[in-house]
Amino acid sequence: MKKTLLILVLFFLVTSFKSDTENPVKSGESLVYSGSYNMSGLLTQIAQVNMTTEKVTTAKNNYLHFSCSLATYSKWDSFFKIRDVYESYVNPISLKPSLYKRNINEGGFIKKEKYVIKGSKVNSTVSFKNNQETQNSFTIGTNTVDVITFLYQMRTVNFANFKVGQTKSFTIVFDEKEMDISLKYMGKETINAGNLGKKECYKVSIAAKTAALKGKDKNIIWLTADEHKIPALIQFSIPVGVGNLTLKSATGI
Amino acid sequence: MKTLYIILAVFFLILSAIFSYLPLGTIALIPISFAFLFSYLVFKKSETPNNKFSKILLILTIVCLIFVLVKVFFIKNELEIDTKFEQQKIENNKDAKKDLEDLENDLE
Repeated sequence: MKKTLLILVLFFLVTSFKSDTENPVKSGESLVYSGSYNMSGLLTQIAQVNMTTEKVTTAKNNYLHFSCSLATYSKWDSFFKIRDVYESYVNPISLKPSLYKRNINEGGFIKKEKYVIKGSKVNSTVSFKNNQETQNSFTIGTNTVDVITFLYQMRTVNFANFKVGQTKSFTIVFDEKEMDISLKYMGKETINAGNLGKKECYKVSIAAKTAALKGKDKNIIWLTADEHKIPALIQFSIPVGVGNLTLKSATGI
Repeated sequence: MKTLYIILAVFFLILSAIFSYLPLGTIALIPISFAFLFSYLVFKKSETPNNKFSKILLILTIVCLIFVLVKVFFIKNELEIDTKFEQQKIENNKDAKKDLEDLENDLE
C-alpha cells in the first residue's frame, strides 16, 4: 500500500512540475499547406508547402529529419516556378541541429546552402547557379538553431502556462547570420485546421529584426492547443503584401 | 469627361485582360471592377443609345469576369509531377546521410 502511494505521489510530482518545454514532434508526421497571397481580402493560391518528419539512422546515430518543401501550383509554373527545399537533421530528443540544407530554385534563381553544425561552430557551403561554391566557418550561440528547426522547436513551448502578452526568445541562423526572434503569446482562438476540423489554437505573434517581415503583430502563427501543437494557420506580412499558409491536411501526428 | 472615362475604361480593360490571363485568382476582380465602372460610365454618357464602342467595352469586361470566375471555381490547384525535383530530394537525402557520417567521424 505504501509503495503504491509512493508511486502515486512521485507520478503526481513529475506531472505537476513539467518543464516549460516538451517535445510533441515525432517522426512520420506530414503537414500539407496551401500558400496564398492576399490583396485587400482577395486571395490567390500560389504554392503548396509540405512539412515532413522522418527518422534517419546512420551507423552511429539516430536523427530526426525535418523537411519543408515548397512548390508552386502548375498554373504558376510557366510564370514563376518555385521549387524550394529546406531541411534540418536534428537530435530526436533535444532537437538540436547537426545539419541544415537549403536548396532553392525561385524563377531560375538557384542557391544551395549547407551548414554542418559542430556545437557552436558552423561550416557553411554556399553555391549559386553556374558559380563555384564558397566555404565559410563561423560561430553561433549554443542555443541558436536553423529556421526549420525553429519552426519545430516552437512547438515544444508550453503555451498553456503562458499569460497573454508573455514572450519567449529564440535565436536562429539564416544566410550565415544570427537573428533574434521573439514569440508573443496572444491568447486562444478557434480556427479551421484542414482535416482536423475546427480547433482551438494558441495565437502566437512572431517578431524578428529583419526587413523580410513587416509590421507589429502581423506575423502570426496559430498552433493547435493540444499535445501536438500543429501549426494550423501561418499569416505573414512581407514588403509586397500579406500571405498565409493554411493547413490542408495533417497526418501521422 | 467622357474622353477621360474612355481612357480609364480601356486602361482597366487591358489590365483586366492581363490579370485574367495570369493565375492571380480573385485579385483580377480589382481591375475588372474598375473596368466595369468606367465602361458603364462611358455607356451612360454616350449621346447615342446604341453606342457600339461602350457596349463592346462592357461585353469584354463581362467576358474577363466570367473567365476569372470559371478559373477560380472550376479549375483546381494542382502540382505538376516534377520527377527532377523528386530525384533531387532523394539525392539530397543520400548526400545528407554522408555529411552526417563525416560529421560523426570528425567528432570522434
